[in-house]
Amino acid sequence: MQKVNILDYYVRSSLGDMKDILRVIRSGEVESATREVNTLDGKCDVPYFLFKERVADEKSAITNAIKEVVEALIKNLSAEEKAQTSLIIGTAILDKNVINAVEDTNAEYEHNPEQFCKTSLDSYAQDIAQELGLNAFTMTIATACTSSINALLEARNLVNSGVCQRAIALGVELSLGLMSDGFMSMNLLSQDKQKPFDAKRNGLILGEAIAGVMVAKESSPWTLLGAYSNCNSRTITAVSDSGDEFLEVMQNAMELSGVNAADITTLKAHATSSVSNDLAEMNAISRIFDKQLDFTALKPYVGHTLGACGVLELAMMMACVDEGFVPKTLNCEQSINAEYIPLKEHKECTEGIFMLNYFGFGGNNTTAIIQKEKL
Amino acid sequence: MRLYVKATSSYKGTLEDIDVKKELKKTYKLDTRRQDRFIHLALWGAMRLKEKCEISSDDELYITSGVGNMDIVQKSNEYVNIQKEILRPFDFINMLGNTTSFYIASALGVKSKNIFQISNSFTFINTLISIYASLSVSKKEAVLGSLDLATQPQSLIKRVLGVSKEVEVLSAVNYQKLSLNADDALAIVEFETQTYSLSEVEILTKESEIKVIFASHNEDYFETRASYYINAAIEAREELMYIDASKGRYKVIRVLKVA
Repeated sequence: MQKVNILDYYVRSSLGDMKDILRVIRSGEVESATREVNTLDGKCDVPYFLFKERVADEKSAITNAIKEVVEALIKNLSAEEKAQTSLIIGTAILDKNVINAVEDTNAEYEHNPEQFCKTSLDSYAQDIAQELGLNAFTMTIATACTSSINALLEARNLVNSGVCQRAIALGVELSLGLMSDGFMSMNLLSQDKQKPFDAKRNGLILGEAIAGVMVAKESSPWTLLGAYSNCNSRTITAVSDSGDEFLEVMQNAMELSGVNAADITTLKAHATSSVSNDLAEMNAISRIFDKQLDFTALKPYVGHTLGACGVLELAMMMACVDEGFVPKTLNCEQSINAEYIPLKEHKECTEGIFMLNYFGFGGNNTTAIIQKEKL
Repeated sequence: MRLYVKATSSYKGTLEDIDVKKELKKTYKLDTRRQDRFIHLALWGAMRLKEKCEISSDDELYITSGVGNMDIVQKSNEYVNIQKEILRPFDFINMLGNTTSFYIASALGVKSKNIFQISNSFTFINTLISIYASLSVSKKEAVLGSLDLATQPQSLIKRVLGVSKEVEVLSAVNYQKLSLNADDALAIVEFETQTYSLSEVEILTKESEIKVIFASHNEDYFETRASYYINAAIEAREELMYIDASKGRYKVIRVLKVA
């Protein structure tokens, strides 16, 4: 059973909540902050889509920030319904509990061993589930940029196999020095703008986000029709320029969803604005779809939110279509394929079938297909 | 919920004193460059499983761990914050959880779904639940790898795991090939989402007609030891009730013979 209904979404991004995101998308006036990164030549500032109100680098502050999103999603559930709702987090973030422990002195442990209890990347989910009366089953998935879309697929599986009645998939990504330094060391960060599919694209801008969706069998205008997730790449950080690996995942997602290329109303590309991945994705797109395809990229609005982008960009697509449009792609002045040009203007749209691509390091590739029924 | 176990592999640090990296090169001719101890441990278990069963490129791969790759966080922290050097690209890549599962998938020839996941409590049982749910939808088979690396100094990992100073933390890796299909299965592994109180679980153990093992934090410790005991029972052709514990709650896994 591939299908599951998407009941609700709630997000916190660098732009604010979904109302703020929609306002910025409509205006097209996007501004990012900056953060300091370490480079071979010393320190420098790079653009970064940071939360306006910083989440402090400590467990309680992070837990509260995540909890705010979960609370918004479960606000109408009864206690019994909450107990039948599982929480799965997807994140590429490194475990701050472990980092903090490493940074602390060993002497602290020797003096106060009793103050420590088991912590892991999943501690946030577990603590929130316990406090809010959710199901005791929690899980945290780390598959780089596909983390939260894969969390959504695991949530779908839990619901459809009867393990729980509802499940929340949450994407979480917060600014972390080691992470931005890592991307900098790989020459993947842009110093100015993200330019998806543009001939002069020069990398990505990182972003913070906490985004959640709830899935269940209950009726909803939005349905996840199906998805395909795999692990296939030429190297740990790159696929073939031909886009063979992306082609495979997109075709399998359509087959599992029971749709054809001609059924796709709009494609939301992963489009990191990196040189190699945009080329591979464009090649895969042009091998599956004809030139009339409408496609767009959302990262120029909110940054590349890594593990959170799966759920965040899904929620953004849903919110825009609920408002009657698909957003244009910013900053693409000259497409790398003259016959396939991302949307230059917002497109009127109130229903349809949407393909969502997510491709990450470690060969993790996922394509999901969602539908909004005619109301 | 039930899954059929088609094959297993186990490695526990105290039982086999070997240099895993050297053995990977010698025994399996694997290129171990750009990898670290956590990845080597994961690969060692995976290659041992591959010797025992057929693994399809379409099998789903799930990797779980108590706390993940703490070794690389320690190493990178030392490099960046103490030596004031720039983070090296491959250290950064190795810090991402799914890097480990990528190398395992590559070694096993798996090109299907690949998930690296952690559940703070009961990470092994909760991953079994995820796999059951996933296979119910996909109708495929799955490989589950559970791995924990003991890092030095041990005071650090003991703090993160929340175990006492007296406990010896071990490295271990245990794999199962799992299916919803009973054909050629070695055993059944049965589990549930329910957690029990101590008094409830004591009743279960008294009523049990099969061997019972209670998880203890006072022995040689690694977070995914449930996976090790399951494999040991299957190897010994025994039935087993394994009771895992976390924060005063208990979960039960049973290893049962195939009828």
